[in-house]
Amino acid sequence: MKPESPETEAGSADGLIGDPSSLKPGDRVVYPNQGVCRVTGTDLQEIAGQKLELVRMVREEDGAAVLIPRAKVASVGLRRVASRSYIEGVFHYLAAQYTDPELDWKIRHRDNADRLVTGGVLGVAEVVKGLHSLSHIRPLPTKEREQYDSSRHLLVAEVSASLGVPPSVAEDYVDYALMPPAGVTFKLKPPPRPVELPVRFARRKPIAKAEEELGLDDLGLELGELGELGEGAAAEEGAEKGEEAAGAEGAEGEAGAETAEEPPARAVPPAKGKPSPKKAAPAPKKAARKPAARPGPKPARTAAKAAPKKAAPKKPAHKPAKKAARGGKK
Amino acid sequence: MIRIVTLAPYDETDLAWLGKTLYTAFGLGTELAGERKPPASAELAGGRTDAEKLVQAAGAPRVVADDKILFLSAADLALPPGPLGEPPAWGFAQQGGVRAVVSTRRLPARGATEASVENWRRRLARECIHFVGHLWELHHCYDPRCAMHPSWSPDLAPNPDAVLCNFCREKSERKIRLAKT
Repeated sequence: MKPESPETEAGSADGLIGDPSSLKPGDRVVYPNQGVCRVTGTDLQEIAGQKLELVRMVREEDGAAVLIPRAKVASVGLRRVASRSYIEGVFHYLAAQYTDPELDWKIRHRDNADRLVTGGVLGVAEVVKGLHSLSHIRPLPTKEREQYDSSRHLLVAEVSASLGVPPSVAEDYVDYALMPPAGVTFKLKPPPRPVELPVRFARRKPIAKAEEELGLDDLGLELGELGELGEGAAAEEGAEKGEEAAGAEGAEGEAGAETAEEPPARAVPPAKGKPSPKKAAPAPKKAARKPAARPGPKPARTAAKAAPKKAAPKKPAHKPAKKAARGGKK
Repeated sequence: MIRIVTLAPYDETDLAWLGKTLYTAFGLGTELAGERKPPASAELAGGRTDAEKLVQAAGAPRVVADDKILFLSAADLALPPGPLGEPPAWGFAQQGGVRAVVSTRRLPARGATEASVENWRRRLARECIHFVGHLWELHHCYDPRCAMHPSWSPDLAPNPDAVLCNFCREKSERKIRLAKT
């Protein structure tokens, strides 16, 4: 990417620096999640046997030294300080009417983290505004309160650097837009285009798929009719599914980035009549897991479980389930 | 130590009350450092005063280590206009710095009754906590009951409390501890 002039920066989302050779000592840049830094020069250092050329910077806020390998300048999201005209657009966004904030904390947390890293100054403003409007609904939890404070700090630092005013005045500008005094109205222009977040795929299983896994199609049954079956059978199935779901949620919550790696095929349910690989997968999984735990009674149980599908589903399905429940208690 | 410098005449009992409230909020000692003349270089056309210049130019006692100086002024403070206009200036602070100024111009009338004086003192204490908070790198808070909530906010109660919320108090304590070490 070419180095952008302040005028073109205003049009782009974030003014990312793609070419590290465009950085000169004295340039002011923004390191995502760190704040405004000033480039002081380049260094050649040997780290772990490798000779690396590093861009040396100083964080303006506290004078901390920041070193980035030249090759990683683009990937860390280093960008130029937003231009005045772009900052004005951000203020028009801050003062604009806001739609409802995201209420699902997992999605909100993941999106806010993405916005702070890749969204530029508008992304930071989106985080501040989103959490601010959420705070009108209920007090923010500790983590989000900290995120609100740190994103506000980043926004104030960049506004201050861009407009050339002291940070406390920059903060007054931000809050004047967010919480205008009674009787004050602004003539707002259309704000910049919102930050585009990376596309993620839904992890939730469609209900139709659950029906398929149970093989209810072959019997002409629907999921609702399962209520008539033994409670233990449902509990057993539920426990297994619960494990799977908990695993999936845990993975989603802890490492949001992993979700992006999931193949898109999972989001689309396979065609109904065809035997899908997913459909076949659960049976061997159970067979492989259960004999390992209790090798003796397993084949009989699986046979008994399979049998009621063809004959009377009510009675035989009930018995093994009760056994399973008792076994679980022991 | 917070050193209070007045740029206009104020009642001594009011200042003593302010000192106590600041001590309660930050756990720092306060001292009245006398009255000074407001700097002429900060005056703007129309009788207003440039808040940033006033803070820089006003005479102040010598400070050591983590001392903070709080100026009390009766001037109509002005801030540079921003992209959406000029925000109302109740004061100005050097974020993370040493000096701050609070204007009593926008405060409710002091009056002579016990209730009105009490209200005036509480509001003055709130604004002073707010700007001293900026000196300790606190940002504005969304909680309207916290002293760090913007002074012009429509959510603010008519007689707001002069206290910090838990988050802001803990943050200020952390910063003060760090400065002391």
